[in-house]
Amino acid sequence: MTIRQRMTLLIILTFLAISSIGGYAVFQSRGSAAAVKQVTEGVVPSALASADLVAQLKEVQLATLALVFEPDPKLVAQSRDKLTARKALLKDALDLQARQADGAAQRGLVEQAKESLANYFAAIDETTKFKLAAQADMAQAYLFASVAMYQAELEVIVETLRIEKNRSKDAAISGLNASLATTTAALTAVTVVAVILLSLIGTLLYRQITRPISRMQLMMSEIAASQDFTRRVPVDRMDEIGRSIVAFNAMIAKIQESSAQLRQKTADIQTMLQNMPQGILTVTEGSRIHPEYSAYLETILETRDIVGRDLMDLLFSDSHLGGDSLAQIAAAVSACIGEDVMNFAFNEHLMVGEIEKTMADGRVKILDLNWSPISDEAGTTVRLMLCLRDVTELRKLAAEANEQKRELAIIGEILAVSQEKFHEFLAGAMKLIDENEQTIRLLPQSNAFAVAQLFRNMHTLKGNARTYGLLHLSNIVHAAEHSYAELRKPEPALAWDQRRLLEELAEVKAVVDRYARINEVSLGRKGPGRRGNAERYLMVDKEHIQESLHRLETVNTGNLHELVTVRDAVRRTLRLLGTEKIAETLSPLIESLPSLAKQLGKAAPAVRIEDGGYVVHNQASSVLRNVFTHLLRNALDHGLETPAQRLALGKAAAGTIRLQVGRDAGMLQIVLSDDGWGLALERIRGIAIENGLIAAEDPLADEEIARLVFRSGFSTAASVTEVSGRGVGMDAVQDLVKREGGGVVIEFSDSAVGAEFRQFRVVVSLPASYAVDVDGDDADLAYRADQPLLAPIEAGGGATERQVA
Amino acid sequence: MAKILVVDDSSTVRDEVAGFLKKHGLDVATAVDGKDGLAKVKADPGLKLVVCDVNMPNMDGLTMVEKVRGELGNAAINVIMLTTESSPAMKERGKAAGIKGWIVKPFKGEAVLETFRKLAG
Repeated sequence: MTIRQRMTLLIILTFLAISSIGGYAVFQSRGSAAAVKQVTEGVVPSALASADLVAQLKEVQLATLALVFEPDPKLVAQSRDKLTARKALLKDALDLQARQADGAAQRGLVEQAKESLANYFAAIDETTKFKLAAQADMAQAYLFASVAMYQAELEVIVETLRIEKNRSKDAAISGLNASLATTTAALTAVTVVAVILLSLIGTLLYRQITRPISRMQLMMSEIAASQDFTRRVPVDRMDEIGRSIVAFNAMIAKIQESSAQLRQKTADIQTMLQNMPQGILTVTEGSRIHPEYSAYLETILETRDIVGRDLMDLLFSDSHLGGDSLAQIAAAVSACIGEDVMNFAFNEHLMVGEIEKTMADGRVKILDLNWSPISDEAGTTVRLMLCLRDVTELRKLAAEANEQKRELAIIGEILAVSQEKFHEFLAGAMKLIDENEQTIRLLPQSNAFAVAQLFRNMHTLKGNARTYGLLHLSNIVHAAEHSYAELRKPEPALAWDQRRLLEELAEVKAVVDRYARINEVSLGRKGPGRRGNAERYLMVDKEHIQESLHRLETVNTGNLHELVTVRDAVRRTLRLLGTEKIAETLSPLIESLPSLAKQLGKAAPAVRIEDGGYVVHNQASSVLRNVFTHLLRNALDHGLETPAQRLALGKAAAGTIRLQVGRDAGMLQIVLSDDGWGLALERIRGIAIENGLIAAEDPLADEEIARLVFRSGFSTAASVTEVSGRGVGMDAVQDLVKREGGGVVIEFSDSAVGAEFRQFRVVVSLPASYAVDVDGDDADLAYRADQPLLAPIEAGGGATERQVA
Repeated sequence: MAKILVVDDSSTVRDEVAGFLKKHGLDVATAVDGKDGLAKVKADPGLKLVVCDVNMPNMDGLTMVEKVRGELGNAAINVIMLTTESSPAMKERGKAAGIKGWIVKPFKGEAVLETFRKLAG
């Protein structure tokens, strides 16, 4: 039942109660009115009329007396008429009583009175007759005898009737009173009952309405206070309250959803702040740092003491900024917060975008700062947001890329000039620089002739540099030339300052040296080269250099990833500069093998080179060629059999020589093997005994015997052939390799211990820097901006103690 | 009948600010201190914007603005302060005097031009 229905019911019940009470009251009052009417219109007038009856009787008596005692005969008739009228009135009065008689007693009395009245009137009529007959005495006598008697009788009856009427009237009044009292009592009772009933029903309904409302209110208050939006107010009825609760629950569900979204958003922001690799903070009024900031900020600033700190203190202390800049930043920040956002636009240019901040341990970090205002709905800046990035690494890489760019530019310039011409240029440049240096050293003060000479030399050098397109160099030279030009003026702006001039010249010399070093070391173009020799750019050509330069010029210096990628690519290019495949290096030797084989009566061997992706620096070319000249000849001469011998052994007529390149134990290793006889251990032992290198009875292991071939002057050739065995054997190879800091060893590749011949391989080790892995990223060869592109290959002398063999 | 009044005791700043604004087609008058500025604001009802230094002889900028608001009863004119420092007390006083903004010196013309055009329009 809804509240409206309850209310309607209550009203209907109230209405019914009032109606029934009213109806009952009306009904009762009507009864009472009839009773009252009965009393007022019936009983009471009747009682009064009964009293009248006595008076009428007296009137008749008086009229009778008047008639009887009328002396004047003329007036007798008049008196008789009067009497007749009185009589009629008395009769009417009695008739009225007869009509109003109530109850048998009254009616009996009226009947008695009627009889008595008839007798009375008869007596009067007799008397009247006598009078009219002028028999006055008779009339008087009759009057006193008969009339008086009947009159007395009638008087008694009428009196009795009057008394009876009065009694009846009293009874009627008291009956009416009793009836009214009953009505009042009944009405009171009904009203009381109705009031009680209505109160009960009202209370019940009131409770049914207010209880759930107060329960709902309680629950709502609890939910509001606890903020626990998972709770719901139970719905146990579907009236207005129930629907309100449903609506309230729906609202709570919405709030729960919104608050969940809000929580999620907050969590997202927190996650972002926790994980983004960027320092984010906000500055509040008074230049204080807001408690919410990104976790990474602690990493960047290397402190956890951030919240509530003054921005200027936290960020700009120990920075490279001067006091004035700091004051401007502080004023600009203060001028923005709490003011219209336009103030941010006004003062943004004062908030620096990059600072160098010195950390507690002395490291300097370069921080990129990005400022933005956070404004409210009114357009007032409530906080300033500051995004920090540590760009130290980025700037370092950019500097590195710049350095690479310069290096590549120089390489490009050098490569554009032939080796011979470049060599000439360098020699000329050195000569000019030396001349100038001596001139300056000799002159404590300016001398027009000398200055002209200085100028001419530098001008020549610049001209040459320009001719060959050595722009970087010509720019440096230009500065020196400019100084000399100034000194030549009649009133030079510059004073003759030996030290400064020498320093300037040293700069020129350093650049020339740099070109020379790149030419010799990186590009391997030492010396004048051979005239007419085709320029070979080996693994890296001009296009490579141009491409690398282009990449460096177009790289986005703000993107760490891109910078690293380009740097590594350029580094690889630079690493490959001046390298070539080992097959290329050894090609003159390999190409000469067929004719050599012919001289030795052997089939031209197949040479299989597995370079393993390594390319060798061309500085190593001559060493490699020298070493492998010996090793390849030895293989062909001593290792491989003649075609006949090979065929007899079931081998192919032509032998195979294998070269494998790899890296092991930090050294470049080139392993040579062939499919010939193997190492003639028995013969080596014999020769060694013959040459007095060992005693005949010395018990030597195969390895020890093999090592004998490295002894000075050892040769196993049956005869000194054209090719090998000219007293330059494995000892020479070992010397060569050792001078380079490497070594050479013989390893057996079979397990035939003690056999006459054993399969073997020659392992030549050289410094790792002699070769570069084309695809690898050699950590030991990593490019460093502060070092030459390529470490110069170690001169042999100092490294001989690195024994490998 | 200029639109903008630049008030600064330093002729360098005056020339820089007023010169820049004039160069960009704005109608600019200048005053050398607060007293001068107050007189010019009173004399020229066409002024829409006052760009005013804080520290000046005779009458400082904030006092001048307070007088413009109080004595002259001019609540409509826009005021932007030029300053080298910014303190909460100054900002509070400025806010009470209905100041639109603060420009910390050195002034960068490009940063203010559009807003100035709007405020002087």
